[in-house]
Amino acid sequence: MSIPIHTYDAIIVGAGLAGCAAARELTEAGKRVAVLTKLHPLRSHSGAAQGGINAALSEEDSIELHEFDTVKGSDYLADQDAVELMCQKSPETIRWAEHMGAVFSRNDDGTIAQRPFGGQSSPRACFASDRTGLTLLQTMYEQALRSGVEFIDEWYVADIIYSDGKISGVVAYNIRNSDQAIYNAKAVMFATGGYARCFKISSNAHANTGDGLSIVARHGLPLEDMEFVQFHPSGLSGSGILISEAARGEGGRLLNSDGERFMERYAPSKLELASRDVVSRAIINEIREGRGVGPRKDAVYIDLVHLGKDKIMERLPELRDLAITFLGLDMIKEPILISATAHYSMGGIPVDKDGHVRKNNSEFVEGFYAAGECACVSVHGANRLGANSVLEALLFGRHVGQTISNEIDQIDLRVACEDDAVTMQSELEAILSSDGTESVPKLRDLLQQSMTDNAGAFRTKEPLAKQIEIIKELKDRFNNIAIDDHSKIFNTDLQEAIELGHMLDYSLFIVESALARDESRGAHFREDFDTRDDEKFMKHTMAYMDKGGDITLEYMDVVAGKFEPQERIY
Amino acid sequence: MDNSITTQAVTFDVFRFNSETDYLPYYKKYTLEVTSEEVVLDILNRIKWEHDGSFSYRRSCRHGICGACAIKVNGKGVLACKERMSDLIELFGTSMSIEPLSEKRAIKDMIVDKADFWDSHEKVKPYLVAQIDESPESENLVSVEEHEALLEADLCIQCGLCHYSCPSVEINDDYFGPAAFVAAYRFNADVRDSATVDRLEQINAPAQGVWDCVKCFECQEVCPKDINPIEKITKLHNMVFSEFVALDNVATRHAVGFASSIRKHGMLDEGELVRYSEGTIPMILKHGVVGLKMLKKGKVVPPWKMPKSDKLDEIQALVRSSSTAEF
Repeated sequence: MSIPIHTYDAIIVGAGLAGCAAARELTEAGKRVAVLTKLHPLRSHSGAAQGGINAALSEEDSIELHEFDTVKGSDYLADQDAVELMCQKSPETIRWAEHMGAVFSRNDDGTIAQRPFGGQSSPRACFASDRTGLTLLQTMYEQALRSGVEFIDEWYVADIIYSDGKISGVVAYNIRNSDQAIYNAKAVMFATGGYARCFKISSNAHANTGDGLSIVARHGLPLEDMEFVQFHPSGLSGSGILISEAARGEGGRLLNSDGERFMERYAPSKLELASRDVVSRAIINEIREGRGVGPRKDAVYIDLVHLGKDKIMERLPELRDLAITFLGLDMIKEPILISATAHYSMGGIPVDKDGHVRKNNSEFVEGFYAAGECACVSVHGANRLGANSVLEALLFGRHVGQTISNEIDQIDLRVACEDDAVTMQSELEAILSSDGTESVPKLRDLLQQSMTDNAGAFRTKEPLAKQIEIIKELKDRFNNIAIDDHSKIFNTDLQEAIELGHMLDYSLFIVESALARDESRGAHFREDFDTRDDEKFMKHTMAYMDKGGDITLEYMDVVAGKFEPQERIY
Repeated sequence: MDNSITTQAVTFDVFRFNSETDYLPYYKKYTLEVTSEEVVLDILNRIKWEHDGSFSYRRSCRHGICGACAIKVNGKGVLACKERMSDLIELFGTSMSIEPLSEKRAIKDMIVDKADFWDSHEKVKPYLVAQIDESPESENLVSVEEHEALLEADLCIQCGLCHYSCPSVEINDDYFGPAAFVAAYRFNADVRDSATVDRLEQINAPAQGVWDCVKCFECQEVCPKDINPIEKITKLHNMVFSEFVALDNVATRHAVGFASSIRKHGMLDEGELVRYSEGTIPMILKHGVVGLKMLKKGKVVPPWKMPKSDKLDEIQALVRSSSTAEF
């Protein structure tokens, strides 16, 4: 099949905060750039971020405290050079977003308002009511539009063009009509978002199927720290839809079926504002020990009634609305039901602090960059602090855009040819022609349920080992699927099948990496190894998939800095 | 919620269409056991995942913030992920239709071509126009009052519900529609912005602009984020005068004529309003015959018989104190 080849200086995949910020930098620098996204840019999941974005702005706060909190929160797995860069640049980045139009909530003196968040020494989360991500995403998209960035939306990127340590573009098809195209470029940046959709109870959007990660992994490139998936303490019971940490930041209290404020037992000093991993495990533990509430006894209460109507309506109106929609409960009048939900992907495509994608522990892929949740810089290490994720996406998105812009003239374009599309074409053909007996929704459900059961917030050896077998079996069954839709127009059936293929691939990375990490660190908690083992495991996992789909694990040193590891108590 | 979860059977009449293969759309029935916890998106998912994988719709965030999944249920515009089935059952009973936002723009099932929506959006300069300091040392100071002046217009998620529920959009291809006006207002109301007049010139132009709003309040009714677009449209009407971009045309004369009638009589002089807006000769040519009939039947008051309100002085004082614009 003949396929058009379009040539650009740079191609960005994903149009959330990181993608839009990078695209604007490149366009402003006069580079020819296009952003490909499988959604419309404004549908990107960055817009779902609720509570805030961190910057040490106030007199009482300091960059160093922000760095310390981030490193401590990461359980000492974060790379301190990257943390330093992020915390130092965060005040400027947030003010830059403000200058571009972001609608932050304000203090009486007109400065940007800040609220307390978990694991932080000072109220540091700048916010826009409870829709911080929305205003930031809109602002970045708007200013990208103003700069003349070319957005190519509702295109599905299915493959990268990669060989000999160098990337030269992506292969994609138009979801609207199945037209295919090669986007040939000197530089490619992935900003494809997170991978927590492989869990049943998840706060993530339908789109967060982690495609970008397995696209990379299928070329034999490594994925880093995939075992670290953050379980957010407050997902709505049943759906897992997020109730922002702002609910606890503003004073929400967690109660069990005895009416006990149980965090007093788990984190006597920080209570509800301990780090997310600590609070999530406390909630799950209360439920496991029979002190759950709600119709399924699978939740605990978060009580916000004492905040009063005015504060709830001013600070948390969206959250109130969500609880009414999904639970039929009004937080002004009554406590609502929450439990831990798979939320954020700390792991991802390994990059250095300037966004260069690693080929292995010591080499990089020429022309390949990544930023945002799909990347592992790593600023979050084993556990991300609230309000550091939109910061990472925005700040590193922009920073990596600048890096590309500075480096792109030194990169030679490797001219693409039609054969570069063969992998995508055979993937599509295999799914469309497969006439087996398995259904994609069924297999996806089995994957998600088993990931929640066996590789969730509490992990032990046997369930993890069992989960590896389950994933391998699901992969076999995936070869025997049949889809209903064979049309060329908006074939979302085909798309869901491709996405499931990706979820199956990267889920194995999560579980294999988790099984090998015989310690508990941040979000990765092993009941059979319940302490942190710095001697053996203060290292990043680097996992590689071979042609047969098997995973090999290597480890990479953490970039040390001014903060020495200490016990993490809240 | 501590009480149990209930279920009941609901029949859905679902609009199906694939522009690649179907000449005309058709409806297909699905009966599902619906639980009291579910929202409309759960139903769309179950139709796709349990019945027919080819059923297509846009969706992403699952909680009313990305704006992808707007559709119509029994003609009522809803954001599928934010609309509780229990509310719809209360409203419509256990049988309902599921349709795309705009049938004439349907590409496949619930998916519509929203090109006109995005085109309109881009025409109002939907971004802050300001000199951007790329490495600022401090933020702009914006007072709480200035922040509140946006009237939550920045919460618009571009779902298109107001646009495709607007009767003016339906009959006038040039009309920008309520969502684009919300965007225009959002930036015009922002103290940091400097393109107010540019935007007003766009939204003041005949056919495409705010004067083609018929004030039906459908946009306010349907907005899933309670943004109240018509409130912003009214604000833009006022800005057109307060920023001195009003043109002498039938739309603005209609607004001015309205105000002057109230000032003069304390009530609306309908005949004079038409004359004022359209001019004497055009009025006679366009409405002369009907006008005479209406006069005869007493449906319109002749100018010499126009009464005045009892407390005209109070009304005039009110008009003076509430007028923000001179014209």
